[in-house]
Order: sequence, then C-alpha cells, then structure tokens
Amino acid sequence: MTKLTQRLGKTATALALCTGLVFSAQASADDIAAGKEIAFSRTKGNCLACHHIEGGKVAGTIAPPLVAMKARFPDKAKLRAQIWDSTVANPNSIMPPMGRHRILSEKEIDLVTDFIYSL
Amino acid sequence: MKKMLTLLLSAGLVATATQAMSSPKEDLAHFRTYFEQRFPGIQLNEFGNGPYALDASKRLQWESMEEFPPYEEYVDKGREIWETPFKNGKSFASCFGKDASKVRPKYPHWDKASSKVVTLEGDINKCLKANGEKPFGWKKGKIAHLGAFLGYEARGQKTNVVVPNDPKALQAYEDGKHFFYAKRGQLNMACADCHVYYAGQRIRGNVLSAALGHTTHFPVYRAKWAKKGKGDGLGTLHRRYGGCNKQVRARPFKAQGKEYRNLEFFHTYMSNGLEINAPGYRE
Amino acid sequence: MKKLIAAFGLALFITGCNATTPDKPASKQAQYEAALKNAQAAVDKAASVGGEWRDIRWKKSKKKYLPSAIEAAKAGDYDKALKLLDIVQFQAEAGYKQAMAQKNAGPRF
Repeated sequence: MTKLTQRLGKTATALALCTGLVFSAQASADDIAAGKEIAFSRTKGNCLACHHIEGGKVAGTIAPPLVAMKARFPDKAKLRAQIWDSTVANPNSIMPPMGRHRILSEKEIDLVTDFIYSL
Repeated sequence: MKKMLTLLLSAGLVATATQAMSSPKEDLAHFRTYFEQRFPGIQLNEFGNGPYALDASKRLQWESMEEFPPYEEYVDKGREIWETPFKNGKSFASCFGKDASKVRPKYPHWDKASSKVVTLEGDINKCLKANGEKPFGWKKGKIAHLGAFLGYEARGQKTNVVVPNDPKALQAYEDGKHFFYAKRGQLNMACADCHVYYAGQRIRGNVLSAALGHTTHFPVYRAKWAKKGKGDGLGTLHRRYGGCNKQVRARPFKAQGKEYRNLEFFHTYMSNGLEINAPGYRE
Repeated sequence: MKKLIAAFGLALFITGCNATTPDKPASKQAQYEAALKNAQAAVDKAASVGGEWRDIRWKKSKKKYLPSAIEAAKAGDYDKALKLLDIVQFQAEAGYKQAMAQKNAGPRF
C-alpha cells in the first residue's frame, strides 16, 4: 500500500515537473507566498527553527542559512527531495523528513520548494 | 559511488557494533572528551549550568535571576515536607536517614533485589506508601519540592552513579543509552541530535544545552513551567523527558516507567564527576 | 506466483463483495471496522517497540487521531473516520519502521 502511494507520489512529482517545464520554469508569486507561510509556520515547516531565512525572525543556527538556493541546487527536484527526506543523503541528518513522515503534504512540499528555491 | 556507500555503511555498522560493546567507563570517557573538545576552555563543572555555560548573553540574564532565585521558596517547602512527621509519627528520615545532604547523591542506583533502576522519586513514594501515606504525583508539586530541598542540601557533592558489573544492570544502562541515541517521533530526532551534536546552537531563540551536566540541576525551576496552568515552575527530570519526547512528536513514556528510569541511569552516569547543583533555574 | 494468486483472489473477493452489497452505509461501516482493526494492530505493534508517535492516541495530544476516528464513526461519519484511520495506519507503520531502523543507534564520536 505504502509502496503504491510512494509510486503514485513519484509519478505525480514527475508529472508536476513535466507540466512545470511545459508551462513555466518559474513558480508564481502566489505559490511562493503560500510556500513562505508554510515554511515560517511553527506548526508546519518551522524551517526557522534551524535555518536563517531572509525575512524570518529569531532563526536558529543549527543548519545552513537558506541563501543562493539556485546555485546550491541547480536541479530543483533535488532540493525537493532534500526537503522530502534529508536522511536519504545523510542518515544522521537532524532535519525532519517532511515528506516521508508526512509532516507536510505533497502539495505543501511543492509550495515550500517553490519558496526556498526563490531564495 | 555505490561501492563507497556500501563501504561507508559497513564502516558505520562496524562502528555501532563496537560501540554496543563498549563499557560504561569507556562511554563516559568518550562522552566527556567529545564535549571538552567541542567547548574548549569550559570547566567540567560549568556544564552543569546548561546553556548558560555556552552562551554569554544568556548567561548574564541567568546570573541576574540567580541573585534572587525563584526556586528558593520551594526549597523551603521541601524542607517542611522533609521535617513534617507522617500520621504514624515517623518522617522521611526513617526511610532516607537523618542527614538530608546524603540522600540525593545516592540516586539513581541499581537495585539488585528488584533488578531495577531506583530513582529518588521512586523511593520518596515508596516511603510514603510504606508509612500509610498517599504517594505524591510524579512530575511536579510536592515531589519536586522535596527533591529541590534534597538537591540543595547536596549541592557541591559529585554525581557518582555506579553501573555494577551485573548483566541486568548493564542491560538497563544499554537500554538507556540506546534510548538517548535513537531517533524517535514524527520529527525523527534523538536526544543526542540536539544535546550532543548541536549543543550550543540555537533552535529558534533557545540555546541547546549539552547533555553533559543535564542531570545535576534537577528538579529544575523553569520559567516556562511557572506559566498559568503549568504549575509553580518546579518539575522533575522525568517531566522534562516527557516534554522533550512530546516536542519531537513521539508519545511520551510514563514518568518513572522503565524507559525513563533506564534513561536516567545512563544520562546521570554520563555526568559522573560533576557537582550536584539542584535545583537549577532555566528559561 | 503465490502472491499473484492471492492478489487475484482478493480482487475477486472485493468485486464479489461489491456485487452483492452495493455501496450502502452498512458497507462503509464494515470498511471502517476492518480499517479500525488494522489500525489498532499497527498501533500496538509500534507501541511494542517504543515507536508510537504523539498524535495517535496519547491523552494530551490535540489531535488524537485514533479516538477521533472512533468518535466520528459513532457519529455516523464513516468518511471522516476512514480518513483519520488512514493517518493512524501510516503513523503507526512509520513509527514501527523508525524504531526498527534505529535498533543499532549509538554514539558517533
């Protein structure tokens, strides 16, 4: 069951990426704003607990500041994957696996990715 | 790449395998060395002051709090509890001995007869029951007041937990150690993630304390626990464990249940040699 | 092969059920009851290895997915109940998996 959902999730991502390529390479300003709200919310992304983000108050120092994301992640899908489950790249990562543990929904992760990618 | 990964993974497995076999003594040495190297120049005892040992600006605020410590009235309440006789005429001294300063340093300890880790709180309630009194709640209130008094009386004495060379005691220690290092909860975090690997860093506005020295200042007065509906500020170590587990979105275990008693055993052992400075003040 | 047969059988069984009992509230209830049983077993399994997450049923949780599902079913809202049980099932399985993955956790210094 979980495998199926995972596969479905992957297909959805692939589809989303394709449509993204076809229609526009840039996320809309609305999406970025929605993503920012999720990222800054303490009960949702709570990214500020550990990351410095421009415009965020009282940010933590646990993790690298989120700047120049396009340079650090030329491939946006890689950034999304890192948010979805950072323990793939580093099993010891302290970062919560936002997607794998369903802390955020797939849609929310899309939006957060849009926002982070805009930084 | 794949080969490298396998190599790394197997190296990791070997490392964990050897760690599982390391003795408590070796664990303690590694643990202490880790923090000494991470925070050079900080004296061993200073770690008992938690984040205030690691962060200069927080330290100033804390030092001014310590001038008129808010926990003092609870130390006095604890003294009263200690001195007030039970209905049967006896008092806590009948269980713990007359010298209140000698109580706290004996805990936690391994009890061979029951094959369990015994905590101060456990023995407080055992004493009450044995004398026909109603036991205290585990996490705050009278149990914390009495603990604060006994900690205050024992200030300056060194933490000295003994893990006897008995397979069951060693297993309890190992279980506590595993609890400390295992990721848990929806947020997938281990105690060690914050309090070993990121000690001294800020999570939002809070400075993460080092696990070394954690246990010396419990019970603790936390400003957070003095807010409306939370109690009078004082709380036990197991209350704090529950709060930490809740924050990583794991279901907290029962205060004084086996999981937290074993964790306390390991966790306190890691602070052997550090002076007791209970009750502490924290944000 | 065995799996295939099982899957085929299951498919037949499901279509069979659907054929005999069309989608009435009663079948939703049966679906709920089966889901509840599964979810409870998964939660017990997670708890047995100390891997239970906060919001499944802990009394101080603000979400309490499992008790909320049972409540919703009592009120006749099986759709809501099934949705909540889905979360319970996922969280319980993920908590168990996590505990298994962390079996050898220890210091890295």
